[in-house]
Amino acid sequence: MSDQWTERLSEYLDGELQDEERAGLDAHLRDCAECAAVLADLKRVAIRARALTDREPAADLWPGIAADIGATTPSTGVPAARRGGHPGRQWSFTMPELAAAGIALMVLSGGAAWWLHPSARTNVGVAAKPPAPAIVAPASSRTRPRGYDGAVSDLERVLAEGRGRLDTATVRVLERNLAAIDSAIAQAQRAVAADSANVYLNSHLADTRRRKLELLRQAANLVTAVS
Amino acid sequence: MDAELAASGDASAFERLYRTHVGRIHSLVRRMLNDQDPDEVAQDVFVRAWQKLGTFRGEAAFGTWLHRLAINVILGQRERLGIHRRRYHEDDAMLETVAGRRAPVEMTMDFEAAIELLPDGARQVFVLHDVEGYRHEEIADMLGLAAGTSKSQLHRARMTLRRHLDR
Repeated sequence: MSDQWTERLSEYLDGELQDEERAGLDAHLRDCAECAAVLADLKRVAIRARALTDREPAADLWPGIAADIGATTPSTGVPAARRGGHPGRQWSFTMPELAAAGIALMVLSGGAAWWLHPSARTNVGVAAKPPAPAIVAPASSRTRPRGYDGAVSDLERVLAEGRGRLDTATVRVLERNLAAIDSAIAQAQRAVAADSANVYLNSHLADTRRRKLELLRQAANLVTAVS
Repeated sequence: MDAELAASGDASAFERLYRTHVGRIHSLVRRMLNDQDPDEVAQDVFVRAWQKLGTFRGEAAFGTWLHRLAINVILGQRERLGIHRRRYHEDDAMLETVAGRRAPVEMTMDFEAAIELLPDGARQVFVLHDVEGYRHEEIADMLGLAAGTSKSQLHRARMTLRRHLDR
């Protein structure tokens, strides 16, 4: 393999070499199996890049956009009106609402980092939280295996039992984010069903499920905090 | 046409445009700015699109117009974060190191994750060229670098990513 030619393989692949250079590299490739193999790999990379699929955000961004552009004016019912400058938020939040929104943002932006840190994954609590504000869970759940479905079920029960103690707007924010995550899980499940061997899709599904679990844990902690 | 309705102030039409394009825009932001919250930047793209809809003439598809607007917002973020031209050259040494390692089979990672690990300059050139289909001259113009630098960054990114292809 020649560095002189290897460095030109991408340009060769993209058809950006002059005729003379292309002819020289053609000749080199006939004799250099290693360069030919690298070229084949580079072609696969380019093809793989073009085949990447787009992913929607885990949480719906529309509510925030609608607020920013003034598309919703719940306090006055005034029709949407475009603003000229960079708009400010129109909503006012109660503290629990802000806490819930913060939780969602933390979960959605921090989910990947959470998953990348084994020490965080091994602890059912939240990374960087103070020591052990235990999640309130029914006693029965402590005696059975803590599979994903079981953990979700327990936390949903905690949330259902404690939702009356939360501000209704807070519940609304939580439910909206849970609905967005459930929708993302359903989409991922359909994709996996269609292509069960796809490593990326399986990883995406697992990641989305973890996000739901984390949001539920935070919500349960919120219930505990206001109890 | 939803773009025309949205330009006249119809927020429902704009929401339909959002639903249609959010996946592409969010993915672009996530790949280009992997150290920032993609939700926040993607939201900013749509807010700016709403504010600038009056400049959309309909000669190009709305998706194309929105995509270019997103690129401008992303590049604005780069400027704000002080990612300067020299970064492309500083990345070189790091990229050479990364590219020189052959990932063991057990460390083979998802292709998207491998893209995220590329240094900023190589990742942005790779995304713009190989994922989004821009030419080197366009990329050089957008990022404020020489076309030759764009080509060399692309080659190094591909050389790194070839080690993360499924075997």
